[in-house]
Amino acid sequence: MSPFKSASDGSPCNYENIHVIGTGAYGTVYKARDNTNGRIVAIKKVRIALTENGVPMSTLREISLLKQLNACDHSNIVKLFEVCQFLERDGKLMILLVFEYLEQDLSDYIENLPKSGVSRTTIQRFSRELLTGVDFLHSHRIIHRDLKPQNLLISSQGHLKIADFGLAKTYDSEMKLTSVVVTLWYRAPEVLLAQPYNSSVDIWSAACIMAELFMRKALFPGTSDKNQLDRIFELTGRPGVDQWPKTISVSREYFPMRHPKRPRDFCPTLCEYADDLLSQMLSYDIRLRPSALACLEHEYFQQEPL
Amino acid sequence: MPCWYYDKKELRETPSILDGVTFETERRYRKEGARFIMECGTKMGLGHNTMATGVVYFHRFYMFHSFKSFPRYVTACCCLFLAGKVEETPKKCRDIIKTARGILNDNYFVSFGEDPKEEVMTLERILLQTIKFDLQVEHPYTFLLKYAKCFKGDQQKLQKMVQMAWNFVNDSLSTVVCLQWEPEIIAVALIHLASKLSKFTVLDWLGRQPSHQRWWDMFVSDVTMEILEDICHQVLDLYQSTQKEGQEPNSPPQKPPSRADSPTNNKVLSLLLPLPQNSSIVDSTTLGKTKAAPPPPPPLPACPPSDNGGLNPNNAAAELNNIQSIKSLASAVPVETLPPVTLNTNANYHMYHAPPPPPPPAPIAPPYPPPHYTAVPPNMGYYNAGRPQQPQPRYQ
Ligand SMILES: Nc1ncnc2c1ncn2[C@@H]1O[C@H](COP(=O)(O)OP(=O)(O)O)[C@@H](O)[C@H]1O
Ligand SMILES: [Mg+2]
Repeated sequence: MSPFKSASDGSPCNYENIHVIGTGAYGTVYKARDNTNGRIVAIKKVRIALTENGVPMSTLREISLLKQLNACDHSNIVKLFEVCQFLERDGKLMILLVFEYLEQDLSDYIENLPKSGVSRTTIQRFSRELLTGVDFLHSHRIIHRDLKPQNLLISSQGHLKIADFGLAKTYDSEMKLTSVVVTLWYRAPEVLLAQPYNSSVDIWSAACIMAELFMRKALFPGTSDKNQLDRIFELTGRPGVDQWPKTISVSREYFPMRHPKRPRDFCPTLCEYADDLLSQMLSYDIRLRPSALACLEHEYFQQEPL
Repeated sequence: MPCWYYDKKELRETPSILDGVTFETERRYRKEGARFIMECGTKMGLGHNTMATGVVYFHRFYMFHSFKSFPRYVTACCCLFLAGKVEETPKKCRDIIKTARGILNDNYFVSFGEDPKEEVMTLERILLQTIKFDLQVEHPYTFLLKYAKCFKGDQQKLQKMVQMAWNFVNDSLSTVVCLQWEPEIIAVALIHLASKLSKFTVLDWLGRQPSHQRWWDMFVSDVTMEILEDICHQVLDLYQSTQKEGQEPNSPPQKPPSRADSPTNNKVLSLLLPLPQNSSIVDSTTLGKTKAAPPPPPPLPACPPSDNGGLNPNNAAAELNNIQSIKSLASAVPVETLPPVTLNTNANYHMYHAPPPPPPPAPIAPPYPPPHYTAVPPNMGYYNAGRPQQPQPRYQ
């Protein structure tokens, strides 16, 4: 295994990679050891092409923002230790984002659950931590856009931290070109319909994740864009003619007629409060979805879960 | 989080000094680099924040590297180049170099090597690594305006005072105060100085609490009079342009002759000079070749822009006395431990995205949008408050 070495200025960027944790459309995440202090870290390697004007402005802005967010030291956001860079032989710039290492992500966690599942207290705590992290991002005007169990990390103390925001988010155009299948399951309908969207896409995804904690399987495990939308309409009802976006070619009639249901119809174990909260968060109309802060004020979080 | 503040001892043991550069020479290089960034930035129409960010990068860079290894004007160009991108006022590397060439003497331009653009581009990555990607920097300007909004009193005098403090902030970039204290504290110190010199005493302010003895108690805590005075004196020392400076050996990198023969003033003399309108005092008194004119501060709300921020030369002698009496004045204030308004670091992050923060005493609220904010264009991870976005090449 080749250790990561830093640029010519000899700054302390001395890591030894242990193994690959994940390879996504965007790059590779390694488990690594910081040779200066023995600490185990997760390193995300991102390669960027240098432009005629050096490091692209968008990259600088995003790293800058990541660093500033990190300085807030929010307990539900994965901690960024440092950023290193070096030039590769092909002239591309390799950027290493060095994060605190967490044992597992939420998808591993759900997969490894015992038969009895997650306790309601734990579900409530994860949900609260997720929404607290989302509220933090939103209050800094960052939309995550890809909340899913794989991007939520669980600490050894059982706390949830949001990962994979920032730098990776500008890769989308390329993402479509790669063969890596990007999961649709947590995508809000307006994203699937290529409509304008806002921070409420994260509220949608958070609701899907919360439901998954109760169900131990995905709420809307779509197999294609169309199938994903159809599964969503099964809950929200097929949008009315007036609600159907005018700017897309795909016809509303392409989808079967559906009447609205309750989240509980999909997930019978939901308590009444959770059912109410999720039904709001899963509104087809983005204006009806509560903000993360409003979610946290919902009755569901105000008492011991039943 | 790396710490970007240093104590006096650390500032005496910088890489340059360990490399054999004298303390005074290093300070001169820093001053020249900072002024060059301001001049270059002004010529290119860059804003005060971009220039100040570039200068702060410059000062930080030389806490890790020696002036002997990295020629200061190349570094200065690189800092301005990077600051332009970070502050979303990008300038082409080529254009910065062109401007630099116009400012610098040919002899000097040698330090840019055969391929000046490549030189600056290569340095960009070293700079990024050195400043540890801590790209967002806050400046006293923001706090100066924020504090001034709360001051009560004669609006015209206030405006004059703000203008003067603004010029002091410009000038303070040529010192190392940004390596010693937070921008909030520098703003307090330089407002304090300007208020002494312009005879605008802040007697009352919005949001005043019974526990506040001095106006800055509302904004900063743990600031002693010694700190404020130290900042003021570093800035005032700039106006004492010494003959020694001009006579110092010019290597390494060579100093352009146009700058070497700056007029020799003593402290009193330079203070007697009227402050030039909308221009930094130092630039006009010491720059030989070109006069950089940093832009004036934006006018305070409900307060017309002043057309004279300068000192009245007739009163300068009296004002000098004022400077000397800062200390005595301070000791006249009964000292007591106050419940401090601590600097809210979180608030800084909000301000990064948000329009100017609401004037105190309103608590600094996160710009929480009700309940969701508008869409971002595809491929933009961040909400971007309506700013035009430059098309950027995608990552590969
Ligand atoms: N800090 C970390 N500690 C442990 N595992 C991590 C960490 N960050 C990411 N991972 C793992 O690596 C995977 C990919 O990381 P992520 O940041 O989501 O990159 P990508 O952009 O490829 O999705 C995650 O799904 C998670 O399982
Ligand atoms: Mg991911």
